Amino acid sequence: MSSPEEKELELLIGPQHPASGHMRLVARVDGDVVVELRPNIGYVHRSVEKLAEVKKYLQIIPLVERPSLADTTANNLAYVMALEKLLGIEAPERAKYLRTLLAEINRIHSHLYGLGIHGVMIGSSTAYMWCFGDREPFLELAQELTGARLTYSYIVPGGVRRDLPAGFGERAEKVLRYMENRMKDYFDLYFNNPVVRARLEGVGTLSREDAIRLGVTGPNLRASGVAYDVRRADPYAAYPELEFDVITEEAGDSFARVMVRVREIVESMGIIRQVLRKIPEGPILHENYEKLIPPKTREVMKRKGIIKFPSVFANLRVPAGEAISRVEGGRGEVVFHIVSDGKPSPYRMRMVTPSFRNVILFEHLTKGARVADIPAIYGSLDYFPPEADR
Amino acid sequence: MSVSRAIRHAKAILTGFKYLLAGPRLTIMYPDEVQELPEGYRGMIEYDWDSCIKCSLCAMVCPADAMKMYVSREESEREGKVVKRPGINYTRCIFCGFCVDICPTDSLKFTKVHDVAYYTYEEQIYPPVEFRKGVPKPLYFREPRRVRAVLDERRGMRYEPADGS
Ligand code: SF4
Ligand code: SF4
Repeated sequence: MSSPEEKELELLIGPQHPASGHMRLVARVDGDVVVELRPNIGYVHRSVEKLAEVKKYLQIIPLVERPSLADTTANNLAYVMALEKLLGIEAPERAKYLRTLLAEINRIHSHLYGLGIHGVMIGSSTAYMWCFGDREPFLELAQELTGARLTYSYIVPGGVRRDLPAGFGERAEKVLRYMENRMKDYFDLYFNNPVVRARLEGVGTLSREDAIRLGVTGPNLRASGVAYDVRRADPYAAYPELEFDVITEEAGDSFARVMVRVREIVESMGIIRQVLRKIPEGPILHENYEKLIPPKTREVMKRKGIIKFPSVFANLRVPAGEAISRVEGGRGEVVFHIVSDGKPSPYRMRMVTPSFRNVILFEHLTKGARVADIPAIYGSLDYFPPEADR
Repeated sequence: MSVSRAIRHAKAILTGFKYLLAGPRLTIMYPDEVQELPEGYRGMIEYDWDSCIKCSLCAMVCPADAMKMYVSREESEREGKVVKRPGINYTRCIFCGFCVDICPTDSLKFTKVHDVAYYTYEEQIYPPVEFRKGVPKPLYFREPRRVRAVLDERRGMRYEPADGS
Protein backbone atom coordinates (compact mmCIF):
# COMPACT_ATOMS: atom_id res chain seq x y z
CA MET A 1 0.00 0.00 0.00
CA SER A 2 1.25 3.47 -0.78
CA SER A 3 2.07 5.85 2.06
CA PRO A 4 0.05 9.08 2.55
CA GLU A 5 2.93 11.11 1.11
CA GLU A 6 2.80 9.12 -2.08
CA LYS A 7 -0.94 9.52 -2.41
CA GLU A 8 -0.90 13.25 -1.91
CA LEU A 9 0.05 15.75 -4.50
CA GLU A 10 1.03 19.36 -4.09
CA LEU A 11 -0.97 21.60 -6.39
CA LEU A 12 -0.08 25.23 -6.93
CA ILE A 13 -3.01 27.42 -7.91
CA GLY A 14 -2.13 30.86 -9.22
CA PRO A 15 -0.99 33.56 -8.89
CA GLN A 16 -3.23 34.20 -11.81
CA HIS A 17 -5.76 36.95 -11.71
CA PRO A 18 -9.07 35.28 -12.52
CA ALA A 19 -8.20 32.17 -10.53
CA SER A 20 -6.52 33.11 -7.32
CA GLY A 21 -6.17 36.84 -7.39
CA HIS A 22 -2.73 38.26 -6.78
CA MET A 23 -1.77 35.34 -4.64
CA ARG A 24 -0.93 31.71 -4.73
CA LEU A 25 -2.84 28.88 -3.14
CA VAL A 26 -0.73 25.92 -2.13
CA ALA A 27 -2.99 22.88 -2.02
CA ARG A 28 -2.25 19.32 -0.99
CA VAL A 29 -4.73 17.03 -2.67
CA ASP A 30 -5.58 13.38 -2.49
CA GLY A 31 -7.34 12.61 -5.72
CA ASP A 32 -9.53 15.65 -5.99
CA VAL A 33 -10.10 15.98 -2.25
CA VAL A 34 -8.30 18.88 -0.62
CA VAL A 35 -6.21 17.72 2.32
CA GLU A 36 -4.79 21.13 3.09
CA LEU A 37 -4.89 24.53 1.43
CA ARG A 38 -2.50 27.26 2.45
CA PRO A 39 -2.88 30.71 0.96
CA ASN A 40 0.37 32.44 0.14
CA ILE A 41 -0.94 35.96 0.37
CA GLY A 42 1.64 37.75 -1.74
CA TYR A 43 2.87 41.31 -1.75
CA VAL A 44 0.51 43.53 -3.68
CA HIS A 45 0.14 46.65 -1.59
CA ARG A 46 2.69 45.95 1.07
CA SER A 47 3.92 48.39 3.70
CA VAL A 48 1.02 50.81 3.68
CA GLU A 49 1.26 51.10 7.44
CA LYS A 50 4.97 51.83 7.30
CA LEU A 51 4.58 54.33 4.47
CA ALA A 52 2.01 56.18 6.54
CA GLU A 53 4.70 57.00 9.06
CA VAL A 54 6.52 59.18 6.53
CA LYS A 55 3.43 60.81 5.02
CA LYS A 56 1.53 63.73 6.42
CA TYR A 57 -1.93 63.15 7.84
CA LEU A 58 -3.89 64.34 4.84
CA GLN A 59 -1.64 62.48 2.42
CA ILE A 60 -2.48 59.19 4.12
CA ILE A 61 -6.09 59.38 2.93
CA PRO A 62 -5.41 58.25 -0.67
CA LEU A 63 -2.81 55.80 0.63
CA VAL A 64 -5.14 53.82 2.89
CA GLU A 65 -7.70 53.60 0.11
CA ARG A 66 -5.35 51.66 -2.14
CA PRO A 67 -5.40 48.27 -0.44
CA SER A 68 -9.15 47.80 -0.80
CA LEU A 69 -9.86 49.30 -4.14
CA ALA A 70 -13.43 48.09 -4.46
CA ASP A 71 -14.33 49.44 -1.04
CA THR A 72 -12.35 52.63 -0.60
CA THR A 73 -14.90 54.57 1.45
CA ALA A 74 -14.66 52.24 4.43
CA ASN A 75 -10.92 52.79 4.79
CA ASN A 76 -11.21 56.48 4.08
CA LEU A 77 -13.92 56.87 6.71
CA ALA A 78 -12.31 54.71 9.37
CA TYR A 79 -9.00 56.53 9.01
CA VAL A 80 -10.57 59.97 9.16
CA MET A 81 -12.69 59.01 12.15
CA ALA A 82 -9.59 58.01 14.10
CA LEU A 83 -7.99 61.28 13.07
CA GLU A 84 -11.02 63.26 14.17
CA LYS A 85 -10.92 61.58 17.55
CA LEU A 86 -7.35 62.82 17.99
CA LEU A 87 -8.28 66.29 16.77
CA GLY A 88 -11.27 66.34 19.10
CA ILE A 89 -13.74 67.34 16.41
CA GLU A 90 -16.84 65.86 14.86
CA ALA A 91 -18.15 66.35 11.36
CA PRO A 92 -21.32 68.44 10.97
CA GLU A 93 -24.61 66.57 10.56
CA ARG A 94 -24.89 67.05 6.82
CA ALA A 95 -21.38 65.75 6.29
CA LYS A 96 -22.23 62.68 8.36
CA TYR A 97 -25.17 61.93 6.09
CA LEU A 98 -23.04 62.41 3.00
CA ARG A 99 -20.44 60.04 4.41
CA THR A 100 -23.14 57.46 5.01
CA LEU A 101 -24.48 57.98 1.51
CA LEU A 102 -21.15 57.32 -0.13
CA ALA A 103 -20.43 54.40 2.19
CA GLU A 104 -23.68 52.71 1.17
CA ILE A 105 -23.24 53.37 -2.55
CA ASN A 106 -19.80 51.89 -2.10
CA ARG A 107 -21.13 48.88 -0.20
CA ILE A 108 -23.52 48.11 -3.05
CA HIS A 109 -20.90 48.30 -5.77
CA SER A 110 -18.39 46.44 -3.65
CA HIS A 111 -20.90 43.61 -3.14
CA LEU A 112 -21.72 43.58 -6.85
CA TYR A 113 -18.01 43.35 -7.55
CA GLY A 114 -17.68 40.41 -5.16
CA LEU A 115 -20.74 38.65 -6.54
CA GLY A 116 -19.56 39.15 -10.10
CA ILE A 117 -16.12 37.72 -9.42
CA HIS A 118 -17.71 34.85 -7.58
CA GLY A 119 -19.97 34.26 -10.57
CA VAL A 120 -17.10 33.94 -12.97
CA MET A 121 -15.17 31.76 -10.53
CA ILE A 122 -17.91 29.16 -10.63
CA GLY A 123 -18.27 29.48 -14.37
CA SER A 124 -21.13 31.90 -14.85
CA SER A 125 -19.78 34.66 -17.01
CA THR A 126 -23.34 36.00 -17.26
CA ALA A 127 -23.43 36.73 -13.54
CA TYR A 128 -20.11 38.47 -13.90
CA MET A 129 -21.35 40.64 -16.76
CA TRP A 130 -24.58 41.46 -15.00
CA CYS A 131 -22.98 42.41 -11.71
CA PHE A 132 -20.27 44.48 -13.34
CA GLY A 133 -22.79 46.12 -15.63
CA ASP A 134 -25.09 46.97 -12.75
CA ARG A 135 -22.20 48.27 -10.76
CA GLU A 136 -21.77 50.94 -13.38
CA PRO A 137 -24.79 53.14 -12.47
CA PHE A 138 -23.63 53.11 -8.86
CA LEU A 139 -20.13 54.08 -9.90
CA GLU A 140 -21.65 56.84 -11.97
CA LEU A 141 -23.49 58.15 -8.91
CA ALA A 142 -20.35 58.03 -6.82
CA GLN A 143 -18.40 59.73 -9.57
CA GLU A 144 -20.94 62.50 -9.75
CA LEU A 145 -20.66 63.04 -6.02
CA THR A 146 -16.91 62.83 -5.68
CA GLY A 147 -15.31 63.34 -9.10
CA ALA A 148 -13.68 59.90 -9.24
CA ARG A 149 -14.79 56.38 -10.00
CA LEU A 150 -13.13 54.43 -7.23
CA THR A 151 -10.57 56.30 -5.20
CA TYR A 152 -12.84 58.96 -3.86
CA SER A 153 -10.69 60.51 -1.09
CA TYR A 154 -14.00 62.17 -0.32
CA ILE A 155 -13.92 62.18 3.45
CA VAL A 156 -11.52 64.64 5.04
CA PRO A 157 -11.03 65.62 8.67
CA GLY A 158 -14.04 67.64 9.77
CA GLY A 159 -16.29 66.87 6.84
CA VAL A 160 -16.52 65.92 3.21
CA ARG A 161 -15.22 67.57 0.05
CA ARG A 162 -18.38 67.99 -2.01
CA ASP A 163 -22.00 68.68 -1.38
CA LEU A 164 -24.80 66.84 -3.16
CA PRO A 165 -24.96 67.86 -6.82
CA ALA A 166 -28.30 69.27 -7.99
CA GLY A 167 -30.76 66.56 -8.97
CA PHE A 168 -28.69 63.82 -7.38
CA GLY A 169 -31.66 62.48 -5.39
CA GLU A 170 -33.80 61.87 -8.47
CA ARG A 171 -31.02 60.18 -10.37
CA ALA A 172 -30.20 57.98 -7.40
CA GLU A 173 -33.86 57.05 -7.07
CA LYS A 174 -33.92 55.90 -10.71
CA VAL A 175 -30.94 53.66 -10.14
CA LEU A 176 -32.45 52.21 -6.98
CA ARG A 177 -35.74 51.42 -8.69
CA TYR A 178 -33.90 49.83 -11.59
CA MET A 179 -31.90 47.63 -9.25
CA GLU A 180 -34.96 46.59 -7.28
CA ASN A 181 -36.75 45.47 -10.43
CA ARG A 182 -33.68 43.71 -11.66
CA MET A 183 -33.28 41.68 -8.46
CA LYS A 184 -36.02 39.24 -9.50
CA ASP A 185 -34.18 38.43 -12.70
CA TYR A 186 -30.99 37.89 -10.75
CA PHE A 187 -32.77 35.24 -8.75
CA ASP A 188 -34.35 33.62 -11.78
CA LEU A 189 -31.17 33.53 -13.77
CA TYR A 190 -28.55 32.96 -11.14
CA PHE A 191 -29.30 32.60 -7.46
CA ASN A 192 -32.18 30.14 -7.91
CA ASN A 193 -30.46 28.41 -10.77
CA PRO A 194 -30.12 24.72 -9.76
CA VAL A 195 -26.57 24.63 -11.14
CA VAL A 196 -25.52 27.53 -8.93
CA ARG A 197 -27.29 26.08 -5.90
CA ALA A 198 -25.57 22.73 -6.45
CA ARG A 199 -22.19 24.43 -6.54
CA LEU A 200 -22.79 26.45 -3.38
CA GLU A 201 -25.23 24.84 -0.99
CA GLY A 202 -23.57 22.83 1.73
CA VAL A 203 -20.14 23.78 0.39
CA GLY A 204 -17.60 25.31 2.77
CA THR A 205 -19.87 25.39 5.79
CA LEU A 206 -18.73 27.58 8.67
CA SER A 207 -20.40 26.92 11.99
CA ARG A 208 -21.45 29.76 14.25
CA GLU A 209 -18.96 28.69 16.93
CA ASP A 210 -16.07 28.49 14.49
CA ALA A 211 -16.97 31.84 12.96
CA ILE A 212 -16.72 33.46 16.39
CA ARG A 213 -13.66 31.50 17.45
CA LEU A 214 -11.73 32.34 14.28
CA GLY A 215 -12.56 36.04 14.49
CA VAL A 216 -14.26 36.12 11.11
CA THR A 217 -15.91 39.38 10.20
CA GLY A 218 -18.47 40.99 7.91
CA PRO A 219 -20.97 39.13 5.72
CA ASN A 220 -18.98 35.92 6.23
CA LEU A 221 -19.68 36.12 9.95
CA ARG A 222 -23.32 37.07 9.54
CA ALA A 223 -23.88 34.17 7.14
CA SER A 224 -23.15 31.88 10.09
CA GLY A 225 -25.94 33.42 12.12
CA VAL A 226 -24.02 36.02 14.15
CA ALA A 227 -25.80 39.37 14.07
CA TYR A 228 -22.70 41.53 14.41
CA ASP A 229 -22.47 44.70 12.38
CA VAL A 230 -20.36 47.68 13.44
CA ARG A 231 -23.04 50.02 12.13
CA ARG A 232 -25.21 48.70 14.96
CA ALA A 233 -22.65 47.60 17.53
CA ASP A 234 -20.78 50.90 17.55
CA PRO A 235 -22.80 53.36 15.45
CA TYR A 236 -20.99 56.11 13.59
CA ALA A 237 -21.73 58.71 10.90
CA ALA A 238 -25.51 58.98 10.41
CA TYR A 239 -26.29 55.35 11.21
CA PRO A 240 -27.79 55.99 14.67
CA GLU A 241 -30.58 57.93 13.00
CA LEU A 242 -31.31 55.42 10.26
CA GLU A 243 -33.33 52.26 10.30
CA PHE A 244 -31.93 49.09 8.84
CA ASP A 245 -31.67 45.42 9.64
CA VAL A 246 -28.54 43.47 10.32
CA ILE A 247 -28.76 40.74 7.70
CA THR A 248 -28.02 37.22 8.86
CA GLU A 249 -28.35 33.75 7.41
CA GLU A 250 -28.20 30.53 9.36
CA ALA A 251 -26.70 27.96 7.00
CA GLY A 252 -23.11 29.24 7.06
CA ASP A 253 -22.34 27.73 3.64
CA SER A 254 -21.13 29.43 0.47
CA PHE A 255 -24.69 30.12 -0.64
CA ALA A 256 -25.56 31.78 2.67
CA ARG A 257 -22.55 34.08 2.33
CA VAL A 258 -23.65 35.08 -1.13
CA MET A 259 -27.21 35.62 0.08
CA VAL A 260 -26.13 37.92 2.90
CA ARG A 261 -24.50 40.16 0.31
CA VAL A 262 -27.50 40.14 -1.96
CA ARG A 263 -29.83 41.02 0.89
CA GLU A 264 -27.43 43.70 2.09
CA ILE A 265 -27.63 45.37 -1.31
CA VAL A 266 -31.38 45.69 -0.82
CA GLU A 267 -30.86 46.98 2.72
CA SER A 268 -28.29 49.54 1.57
CA MET A 269 -30.73 50.83 -1.01
CA GLY A 270 -33.19 51.46 1.82
CA ILE A 271 -30.48 53.35 3.73
CA ILE A 272 -29.68 55.50 0.68
CA ARG A 273 -33.36 56.43 0.38
CA GLN A 274 -33.53 57.42 4.05
CA VAL A 275 -30.35 59.47 3.76
CA LEU A 276 -31.68 61.35 0.77
CA ARG A 277 -34.96 62.00 2.53
CA LYS A 278 -33.58 63.00 5.89
CA ILE A 279 -30.37 64.80 5.03
CA PRO A 280 -30.32 68.08 6.96
CA GLU A 281 -29.22 71.41 5.57
CA GLY A 282 -26.03 72.92 6.90
CA PRO A 283 -22.29 73.08 6.46
CA ILE A 284 -20.24 70.14 5.26
CA LEU A 285 -17.01 71.18 6.94
CA HIS A 286 -16.35 71.67 10.64
CA GLU A 287 -16.51 75.29 11.74
CA ASN A 288 -12.94 75.24 13.08
CA TYR A 289 -11.73 74.75 9.52
CA GLU A 290 -14.41 76.71 7.78
CA LYS A 291 -13.52 79.88 9.67
CA LEU A 292 -9.92 79.62 8.45
CA ILE A 293 -11.08 80.06 4.88
CA PRO A 294 -11.26 83.69 3.71
CA PRO A 295 -14.88 85.00 3.68
CA LYS A 296 -14.99 85.58 -0.06
CA THR A 297 -13.74 82.09 -0.89
CA ARG A 298 -16.15 80.71 1.70
CA GLU A 299 -19.05 82.31 -0.16
CA VAL A 300 -17.98 80.80 -3.49
CA MET A 301 -17.38 77.49 -1.79
CA LYS A 302 -20.89 77.41 -0.35
CA ARG A 303 -22.44 78.34 -3.67
CA LYS A 304 -20.56 75.70 -5.59
CA GLY A 305 -20.80 73.02 -2.91
CA ILE A 306 -17.11 72.22 -3.27
CA ILE A 307 -15.02 72.93 -0.21
CA LYS A 308 -11.65 74.58 -0.20
CA PHE A 309 -9.07 73.12 2.13
CA PRO A 310 -7.79 75.55 4.74
CA SER A 311 -4.03 75.93 4.46
CA VAL A 312 -3.51 74.06 7.75
CA PHE A 313 -4.48 70.89 5.92
CA ALA A 314 -1.12 70.89 4.14
CA ASN A 315 0.66 70.30 7.42
CA LEU A 316 -2.08 69.10 9.69
CA ARG A 317 -0.79 68.55 13.21
CA VAL A 318 -2.75 66.47 15.63
CA PRO A 319 -2.29 66.43 19.40
CA ALA A 320 -0.24 63.60 20.87
CA GLY A 321 -2.25 60.57 21.86
CA GLU A 322 -3.81 57.56 20.32
CA ALA A 323 -7.17 56.74 18.83
CA ILE A 324 -8.95 53.71 17.50
CA SER A 325 -11.89 53.71 15.15
CA ARG A 326 -13.84 51.04 13.38
CA VAL A 327 -16.41 50.94 10.62
CA GLU A 328 -18.35 48.25 8.79
CA GLY A 329 -16.94 48.04 5.29
CA GLY A 330 -18.34 45.93 2.48
CA ARG A 331 -16.16 42.99 3.44
CA GLY A 332 -16.35 43.45 7.20
CA GLU A 333 -14.92 45.39 10.06
CA VAL A 334 -12.14 47.88 9.31
CA VAL A 335 -10.10 49.07 12.29
CA PHE A 336 -7.63 51.92 12.40
CA HIS A 337 -5.29 52.68 15.26
CA ILE A 338 -3.25 55.87 15.11
CA VAL A 339 -0.55 56.81 17.59
CA SER A 340 0.44 60.44 17.36
CA ASP A 341 3.41 62.17 18.96
CA GLY A 342 2.27 65.62 17.88
CA LYS A 343 4.33 65.68 14.67
CA PRO A 344 2.82 66.09 11.18
CA SER A 345 3.06 62.33 10.55
CA PRO A 346 1.72 59.55 12.75
CA TYR A 347 4.23 57.86 15.03
CA ARG A 348 2.57 54.57 14.19
CA MET A 349 -0.48 53.60 12.23
CA ARG A 350 -2.11 50.21 12.27
CA MET A 351 -4.89 49.14 9.98
CA VAL A 352 -6.76 45.89 10.35
CA THR A 353 -8.70 45.00 7.26
CA PRO A 354 -11.49 42.43 6.96
CA SER A 355 -9.68 40.29 4.39
CA PHE A 356 -6.75 39.98 6.77
CA ARG A 357 -9.08 38.46 9.32
CA ASN A 358 -10.98 36.30 6.86
CA VAL A 359 -7.96 34.78 5.13
CA ILE A 360 -7.89 32.11 7.83
CA LEU A 361 -11.06 30.66 6.29
CA PHE A 362 -9.22 29.39 3.24
CA GLU A 363 -7.52 26.76 5.30
CA HIS A 364 -10.48 26.12 7.56
CA LEU A 365 -13.24 25.74 4.99
CA THR A 366 -11.46 23.83 2.28
CA LYS A 367 -10.37 20.84 4.33
CA GLY A 368 -12.11 17.82 2.83
CA ALA A 369 -13.68 19.82 0.00
CA ARG A 370 -13.21 19.01 -3.67
CA VAL A 371 -10.75 20.92 -5.84
CA ALA A 372 -13.70 22.29 -7.82
CA ASP A 373 -15.09 23.71 -4.56
CA ILE A 374 -12.03 25.92 -4.05
CA PRO A 375 -13.22 28.72 -6.36
CA ALA A 376 -16.76 28.41 -5.03
CA ILE A 377 -15.52 28.89 -1.46
CA TYR A 378 -12.96 31.51 -2.38
CA GLY A 379 -15.52 33.59 -4.24
CA SER A 380 -18.06 33.35 -1.47
CA LEU A 381 -15.57 34.88 0.98
CA ASP A 382 -15.24 38.08 -1.10
CA TYR A 383 -11.57 37.97 -0.25
CA PHE A 384 -9.42 40.75 -1.67
CA PRO A 385 -5.70 39.91 -1.70
CA PRO A 386 -4.25 43.44 -1.47
CA GLU A 387 -6.29 44.03 1.64
CA ALA A 388 -4.59 41.25 3.55
CA ASP A 389 -0.96 42.02 2.80
CA ARG A 390 -1.13 45.70 3.52
CA MET B 1 -35.09 15.65 -11.92
CA SER B 2 -37.73 17.12 -9.66
CA VAL B 3 -40.39 19.38 -11.16
CA SER B 4 -39.30 22.44 -9.19
CA ARG B 5 -35.74 22.03 -10.39
CA ALA B 6 -36.91 21.74 -13.95
CA ILE B 7 -38.94 24.92 -13.53
CA ARG B 8 -35.94 26.75 -12.15
CA HIS B 9 -33.76 25.60 -15.02
CA ALA B 10 -36.41 26.78 -17.46
CA LYS B 11 -36.70 30.15 -15.71
CA ALA B 12 -32.94 30.67 -15.86
CA ILE B 13 -32.83 29.88 -19.57
CA LEU B 14 -35.85 32.05 -20.36
CA THR B 15 -34.43 34.97 -18.39
CA GLY B 16 -31.20 34.60 -20.31
CA PHE B 17 -33.10 34.71 -23.59
CA LYS B 18 -35.09 37.73 -22.49
CA TYR B 19 -31.88 39.65 -21.95
CA LEU B 20 -30.27 38.29 -25.06
CA LEU B 21 -32.98 39.97 -27.07
CA ALA B 22 -33.59 43.15 -25.07
CA GLY B 23 -30.98 43.51 -22.39
CA PRO B 24 -29.23 46.69 -21.34
CA ARG B 25 -26.16 47.38 -23.44
CA LEU B 26 -23.44 49.21 -21.62
CA THR B 27 -20.46 49.02 -23.92
CA ILE B 28 -19.35 52.17 -25.68
CA MET B 29 -17.13 51.91 -28.71
CA TYR B 30 -14.12 53.76 -27.40
CA PRO B 31 -12.31 55.53 -29.08
CA ASP B 32 -15.03 56.01 -31.70
CA GLU B 33 -17.30 57.03 -28.87
CA VAL B 34 -16.11 58.98 -25.85
CA GLN B 35 -17.98 59.61 -22.64
CA GLU B 36 -18.67 63.15 -21.48
CA LEU B 37 -17.75 63.40 -17.84
CA PRO B 38 -19.72 65.07 -15.05
CA GLU B 39 -19.00 68.47 -13.59
CA GLY B 40 -16.21 68.29 -11.05
CA TYR B 41 -14.56 65.25 -12.64
CA ARG B 42 -11.01 65.00 -11.39
CA GLY B 43 -9.08 64.86 -14.63
CA MET B 44 -5.80 66.49 -15.70
CA ILE B 45 -5.10 69.85 -14.17
CA GLU B 46 -4.98 73.33 -15.64
CA TYR B 47 -2.68 75.98 -14.23
CA ASP B 48 -3.28 79.71 -14.31
CA TRP B 49 0.05 81.51 -14.31
CA ASP B 50 -1.25 84.95 -13.47
CA SER B 51 -3.39 84.29 -10.43
CA CYS B 52 -0.88 81.94 -8.75
CA ILE B 53 0.59 83.53 -5.61
CA LYS B 54 3.36 80.93 -5.41
CA CYS B 55 2.38 79.83 -1.93
CA SER B 56 3.55 76.18 -2.43
CA LEU B 57 0.51 74.74 -0.71
CA CYS B 58 -0.27 72.53 -3.72
CA ALA B 59 3.18 70.95 -3.58
CA MET B 60 3.03 70.58 0.18
CA VAL B 61 -0.28 68.75 0.18
CA CYS B 62 0.40 66.44 -2.78
CA PRO B 63 0.37 62.84 -1.49
CA ALA B 64 2.22 61.44 -4.48
CA ASP B 65 4.97 64.06 -4.81
CA ALA B 66 3.61 64.78 -8.27
CA MET B 67 3.28 68.52 -7.75
CA LYS B 68 6.65 70.15 -7.14
CA MET B 69 7.90 73.71 -6.91
CA TYR B 70 10.39 74.67 -9.63
CA VAL B 71 12.60 77.75 -9.62
CA SER B 72 11.22 80.15 -12.18
CA ARG B 73 14.49 81.40 -13.63
CA GLU B 74 13.33 84.43 -15.56
CA GLU B 75 11.21 85.75 -12.71
CA SER B 76 13.91 85.09 -10.16
CA GLU B 77 16.42 87.12 -12.18
CA ARG B 78 13.95 89.91 -12.67
CA GLU B 79 12.92 90.13 -9.06
CA GLY B 80 16.37 89.41 -7.62
CA LYS B 81 15.08 86.63 -5.34
CA VAL B 82 14.16 83.00 -5.71
CA VAL B 83 10.69 82.68 -7.20
CA LYS B 84 9.13 79.22 -7.38
CA ARG B 85 6.16 77.95 -9.29
CA PRO B 86 4.44 74.58 -9.38
CA GLY B 87 4.90 71.92 -12.04
CA ILE B 88 3.25 68.55 -12.32
CA ASN B 89 4.49 65.07 -13.03
CA TYR B 90 1.71 62.93 -14.51
CA THR B 91 3.68 59.74 -14.06
CA ARG B 92 3.08 60.17 -10.35
CA CYS B 93 -0.21 62.02 -10.10
CA ILE B 94 -3.08 59.96 -8.67
CA PHE B 95 -5.76 62.57 -9.44
CA CYS B 96 -6.78 62.99 -5.84
CA GLY B 97 -7.41 66.66 -6.49
CA PHE B 98 -5.98 67.80 -3.15
CA CYS B 99 -3.83 70.40 -4.91
CA VAL B 100 -6.87 71.91 -6.61
CA ASP B 101 -8.87 71.95 -3.42
CA ILE B 102 -6.15 73.61 -1.38
CA CYS B 103 -5.13 76.27 -3.92
CA PRO B 104 -6.35 79.51 -2.31
CA THR B 105 -6.58 81.45 -5.57
CA ASP B 106 -8.19 78.81 -7.77
CA SER B 107 -5.11 78.83 -9.96
CA LEU B 108 -5.43 75.09 -10.38
CA LYS B 109 -8.52 73.67 -11.99
CA PHE B 110 -9.76 70.26 -12.98
CA THR B 111 -10.36 69.50 -16.61
CA LYS B 112 -12.23 66.51 -17.94
CA VAL B 113 -9.26 65.32 -19.97
CA HIS B 114 -7.88 61.96 -18.90
CA ASP B 115 -7.25 59.85 -21.96
CA VAL B 116 -3.92 61.07 -23.25
CA ALA B 117 -1.07 58.82 -24.35
CA TYR B 118 2.62 59.74 -24.36
CA TYR B 119 5.63 58.34 -26.13
CA THR B 120 8.14 58.99 -23.40
CA TYR B 121 8.33 59.25 -19.68
CA GLU B 122 9.77 62.77 -19.83
CA GLU B 123 6.86 64.16 -21.84
CA GLN B 124 4.59 63.52 -18.90
CA ILE B 125 6.48 65.91 -16.67
CA TYR B 126 5.30 69.49 -16.95
CA PRO B 127 7.52 72.19 -15.47
CA PRO B 128 5.64 75.46 -14.79
CA VAL B 129 6.14 76.96 -18.27
CA GLU B 130 4.77 73.83 -19.90
CA PHE B 131 2.11 73.46 -17.23
CA ARG B 132 0.66 76.88 -18.04
CA LYS B 133 0.06 75.90 -21.66
CA GLY B 134 -2.94 73.86 -20.62
CA VAL B 135 -3.72 70.19 -20.86
CA PRO B 136 -3.01 68.28 -24.06
CA LYS B 137 -5.85 67.55 -26.40
CA PRO B 138 -6.45 63.83 -26.74
CA LEU B 139 -5.75 62.72 -30.29
CA TYR B 140 -8.22 60.41 -31.95
CA PHE B 141 -7.92 58.70 -35.27
CA ARG B 142 -11.36 60.03 -36.16
CA GLU B 143 -13.30 62.70 -34.30
CA PRO B 144 -15.25 60.61 -31.76
CA ARG B 145 -18.95 60.77 -31.07
CA ARG B 146 -19.54 62.24 -27.63
CA VAL B 147 -21.93 60.30 -25.48
CA ARG B 148 -23.11 60.82 -21.95
CA ALA B 149 -24.35 58.38 -19.36
CA VAL B 150 -28.02 58.74 -18.51
CA LEU B 151 -29.28 57.02 -15.40
CA ASP B 152 -32.49 55.32 -16.21
CA GLU B 153 -35.10 53.42 -14.28
CA ARG B 154 -35.65 50.78 -16.92
CA ARG B 155 -32.13 50.11 -18.12
CA GLY B 156 -30.06 51.32 -15.19
CA MET B 157 -27.81 53.32 -17.40
CA ARG B 158 -27.62 54.06 -21.08
CA TYR B 159 -25.48 56.25 -23.25
CA GLU B 160 -26.95 58.85 -25.49
CA PRO B 161 -25.38 61.44 -27.81
CA ALA B 162 -24.07 64.29 -25.70
CA ASP B 163 -25.18 67.00 -28.10
CA GLY B 164 -28.77 65.79 -27.92
CA SER B 165 -28.89 64.76 -31.56
S1 SF4 C 1 -4.10 65.62 -8.05
FE1 SF4 C 1 -3.22 64.83 -6.14
S2 SF4 C 1 -1.47 63.60 -6.81
FE2 SF4 C 1 -2.03 64.88 -8.56
S3 SF4 C 1 -0.72 66.65 -8.35
FE3 SF4 C 1 -2.64 67.15 -7.31
S4 SF4 C 1 -2.31 66.62 -5.16
FE4 SF4 C 1 -0.69 65.63 -6.38
S1 SF4 D 1 -1.05 76.93 -7.77
FE1 SF4 D 1 -2.26 77.64 -6.02
S2 SF4 D 1 -1.51 76.41 -4.28
FE2 SF4 D 1 0.00 76.20 -5.91
S3 SF4 D 1 1.51 77.78 -5.52
FE3 SF4 D 1 0.03 78.69 -6.93
S4 SF4 D 1 -1.48 79.68 -5.61
FE4 SF4 D 1 -0.32 78.30 -4.30
